[in-house]
Amino acid sequence: MAALLFYLFAAITLGTAILVVVSKNAVNSAMFFLLSLMGTASLFVLLDAFLLAVLLVLVYAGAVVALFLFIIMLLDMHGGDRKPFKRTTMVASAFAAILLGLGVLGFVQRAQLTSAPVGAEVVAVGATLKGYAAQLFTTYLLPVQIVGFLLLIAMLGVIVLSKRFEGLEDVK
Amino acid sequence: MNLELLQSAAADNRWGALFPELLLGCLALLLLVLEIVLPKKHHSAIPSVAILGQIALLIALIVHFRTGFIGMTTFNGLLRHSVEGQFMRVFFLLTSILVSILGVVSLSRQRMPRIEFFHIVIVVSAAMMLLVQSHHFVLFFVALETVTIGFYILVSYYRTNPLSLEAGLKYLIMGALSSSILLFGIVLLYGVVGNPALAPAGAAGSMDFSSVRQFLALHPDNFLAKVGIVLVLSGVAFKIGTVPFQIWVPDVYQGAPTPVTAFLAVGSKAAGFAVLIVLAGVFAPYQKLVIPVLASMAVATILFGNLAALTQFNVKRLIGLSGVSHAGYLLIGVIAAYTDPAAIGAVYFYLFAYLLASFAVFGVMTHVSGSNDAEQELEHYADLAKTHPFLAFVLAVGLGSLAGIPPLAGFIGKLMIFLTAFHAGLYVLLGVAILGVIVSIYYYFGWIKAAFFASWRLPAPAGEAQADLPRVAVGWPAKLALGSLALGSIVLGFYQGPLVEWLVLR
Repeated sequence: MAALLFYLFAAITLGTAILVVVSKNAVNSAMFFLLSLMGTASLFVLLDAFLLAVLLVLVYAGAVVALFLFIIMLLDMHGGDRKPFKRTTMVASAFAAILLGLGVLGFVQRAQLTSAPVGAEVVAVGATLKGYAAQLFTTYLLPVQIVGFLLLIAMLGVIVLSKRFEGLEDVK
Repeated sequence: MNLELLQSAAADNRWGALFPELLLGCLALLLLVLEIVLPKKHHSAIPSVAILGQIALLIALIVHFRTGFIGMTTFNGLLRHSVEGQFMRVFFLLTSILVSILGVVSLSRQRMPRIEFFHIVIVVSAAMMLLVQSHHFVLFFVALETVTIGFYILVSYYRTNPLSLEAGLKYLIMGALSSSILLFGIVLLYGVVGNPALAPAGAAGSMDFSSVRQFLALHPDNFLAKVGIVLVLSGVAFKIGTVPFQIWVPDVYQGAPTPVTAFLAVGSKAAGFAVLIVLAGVFAPYQKLVIPVLASMAVATILFGNLAALTQFNVKRLIGLSGVSHAGYLLIGVIAAYTDPAAIGAVYFYLFAYLLASFAVFGVMTHVSGSNDAEQELEHYADLAKTHPFLAFVLAVGLGSLAGIPPLAGFIGKLMIFLTAFHAGLYVLLGVAILGVIVSIYYYFGWIKAAFFASWRLPAPAGEAQADLPRVAVGWPAKLALGSLALGSIVLGFYQGPLVEWLVLR
């Protein structure tokens, strides 16, 4: 049952991810991206990583994709005016796909994925909300603080790069 | 999760060990507060606050160089303090001071907001300090992303210039790609090290550098670990700009504002190498894989960087591609460190000599460039020796040091790297490097020739004045900085004294 579900969700994730790239309308791309994220979240649920699944849905599917849609609609992008891929791009991407396929094949054949003996599974610290929060505010306090600065400079960057300033002629 | 466990974990967060980074963060915030509080006519004083604050911190850092935290791990194994870490802290602080000084000069010709530039530069250098001291993949990645995101903004800072925006977009895409490659490598390593069927320690510290190393030593032929190592090395190679991950270098270096180009060339590269030295130690049990990967990169990097730089007329592209070749020489030092530990000191010395020389050259470039920051051609340097003898002298010293002409500091740096490569028996790499140095002399001296020797030009048609070359007068802070950089390059070439003793002969 779990294996069947895995293949189902993996197929959803990959299929919609391909549709994100090839669909001509930007809004459709964003919606397929949403579906792809839902597929990934389901895979996380199968791995018992419930917190990660919820966060993925809340942050990416909830906030980021909504933001994408806002921006697409603000910029008033018309669907279908993207140029088709050039021949060189097609050849290069086919080549990259073959390489990637070979890489995955190598993984499947050579990776020594010995599964753990029953009962020896280590529960990840982030599996439950409580354990996750405890880790975040003790062991990983410093990275959290750094992320604060990261967000601050990202916000400043948005202001510097997009605000209208007096006497500044922008690139058209 | 009981309370005592939490308390013991929290007690290891020794904030005192991080005083330079904390003070830099406070300084950065202070700049923003001052911008709000001060009336507009006093805003021109804020950059001076930034520079003076950093200089005061530099003095404090040098006075407290030997802190009690050296050799300790703090923050539950997230950070490891070492003498090298202290050296790199001084290095990055020096870098950000010089970038701020050049930023004052360069921003005075632009109508961009000023204060944010200094704020981001300070935050990025604090993140670099944490990056080189990190001992855990979580902190490593967070610090690296802070540095990278800061650079996305800084590269596209002169947004009225289309080339700057283009450079920003290119750096964003390539940076995101490299981060994802690096992250995938980290995830693979985490997966194998944390696997309870394989690991000795369990998943408790599976992102910790020492447990990764311990795992690799126990399992010397794990396929997933091999893939992870190659991906992590590739991600770092993007940051230091080695072939085949150098594709972004010329365009981004050209489009970025000149002080930011200097920051990328010196700060980002030095951070990459300091991290690479740490990771090379972590991956030491997989030497048979790491050495060929790094060696082939080094050969390709030296050859590509030097040959591509030969054809450039835009000085920013030229210095970018020559920076690629310097990354190649430094890689040889990293490889040599596996057999000869003195090579680590040689790499640090080379980086320091590179800082002095590069900032001398970038300082001159900032003064010679016009308001269009991306168009800096070799022609703009015509007659520099006649009109600005001081700038021409600094340029000659900087370029000579980069080319490795004795008796300048760059020569000693190259000599030390090559000597350790000879000790380590890397004869092929040594041959390629010497070939690269010989080729590099051609383009460095082409630049010096443009500045010092009069070249034939079309006589200006009667009645039309010769177009003025875009040059600005050198203010005293920049003069002081450039003078001491040139002097440092010369003095360090004659007398290395305690610095080399301390770095190499430890």
